[in-house]
Amino acid sequence: MTTVVKRLPLHELHAKAGGHFGAFGDWEVPLYFTSILDEHEAVRTQAGIFDISHMGEFFVSGKAAKGFLDFLLPRKMERLQDGKALYAPLLNEEGGIVDDLIVYQLSPERFLLIVNAANIEKDFEFIRHHLPTGSVELENASERKSLFALQGPRSLEIAEALFRCDFKSLGYYHFLTLKTDWGELFCSRTGYTGEDGFEIMPDAPQAASLWEAIFSAGKAKGLKPIGFGARDTLRLEAGMLLYGQDMDDTTSPVEAGLAWAVDFDKKNFLGWPRVHEEKEKGPARKLVGFEMTERGIPRHGFQMEKAGKALGPVTSGGPAPTLKKNIGLGYVPAAEAKVGNELEIVIRNQKVKAKVVPLPFYKRKRS
Amino acid sequence: MNFPAELRYSQTHEWARRDGNRVRVGITEYAQHEISDVVYVELPKPNGAAEKGKGVAVVESVKAAFDIYAPVSGEVVLTNRELESNPALVNQDPYGRGWFFEIELKNPSEWETLLSAEQYQAQCTTTH
Repeated sequence: MTTVVKRLPLHELHAKAGGHFGAFGDWEVPLYFTSILDEHEAVRTQAGIFDISHMGEFFVSGKAAKGFLDFLLPRKMERLQDGKALYAPLLNEEGGIVDDLIVYQLSPERFLLIVNAANIEKDFEFIRHHLPTGSVELENASERKSLFALQGPRSLEIAEALFRCDFKSLGYYHFLTLKTDWGELFCSRTGYTGEDGFEIMPDAPQAASLWEAIFSAGKAKGLKPIGFGARDTLRLEAGMLLYGQDMDDTTSPVEAGLAWAVDFDKKNFLGWPRVHEEKEKGPARKLVGFEMTERGIPRHGFQMEKAGKALGPVTSGGPAPTLKKNIGLGYVPAAEAKVGNELEIVIRNQKVKAKVVPLPFYKRKRS
Repeated sequence: MNFPAELRYSQTHEWARRDGNRVRVGITEYAQHEISDVVYVELPKPNGAAEKGKGVAVVESVKAAFDIYAPVSGEVVLTNRELESNPALVNQDPYGRGWFFEIELKNPSEWETLLSAEQYQAQCTTTH
């Protein structure tokens, strides 16, 4: 396998800020700046800024765009209006998850899709393959767009100070387009940490100066740059799945606990037969969250067992810094998925006890 | 970075402090810095045999697990149980309260094969 190392456009800036780099798929990204635990804590209690410009942005436009997305995605596009966003799995014909994405309605005939970095080419080809001829345009804008996530309880005051704008009325999964010193900025109330926050999409040439400006606005409010290490611990605590690890092209959204992101009463969408059947009969296996009840850290790829019988692999695992526990996600036969069920995780040939717990592991207190 | 002169070192970033035939082992300041936040330590069983160069303990950061190798062969006679409840001591005091275990040295000649502070420091600066 050839590995092409890709770097974030602001790589040099992150290196100067003390970034320690490591691999994330084909990307070389900052894993942490000070320490994963410090950065995790900053996002839970203050605020953090993430450079997630590796992610993909597609524009889908045209008179038939909304109807096309209604067929492409298992959610009802009538839920969308200008300024509103939806989380959705992108399913293949067999009901497997091609990717998970967020779709934003910019206007009745123009939509933005934000997709996972590792899937940009795959998604683009997949969507293009299903595109109706002529009436819908698909653009991969990933190269000309950057993306930052400002997350944490103090992200609202930082965003308001920076943009001199009222965000209090901007609901979760809603967005605005702002006219700013950095051009037109797309700014949504979304995130991947379990905290309040925003995702801000500048054009690539504006990214460096916006990054510095967010910093100046946030420094006195506890804002820290956050690496991909804490991004992973934050999302895991919040019970959010990582594509390629917790789900892939063979996983169905029902198995993955994403049935809430499928509108089952809608019949004409890709992958409907399998997801409908699993919804009716129940899936063979289910994603569960578990916490260790003995000492040990579960990691991606470790086996889960019950009474000597293999249940399936851990898909994500690690310490939960806010909860002070060791937690993980993994697929088990549906009969073993009940909350409270006692399992064992095989850690370096030793069976270590764990139990199934409700997801999410961590839920913020809303003010 | 600190490389105490009275200690000996292994190429795999353990330090060793000798008192008679007793050898106390930990990981170096350089190693704890590279690993970053230590969140878990697995200690060897007391009275077990340790073989030079073989993994006897495990240290885990938020992202990954790393083996700790015995710098000398012998019996493990003591382990630092404090690390089980407070693994961050490895970061905070790597040459002091962050020690891992003690080995009763079997072949005193092995001690001489370990690196001096100067040699180890040179290794760290060339690999980094």
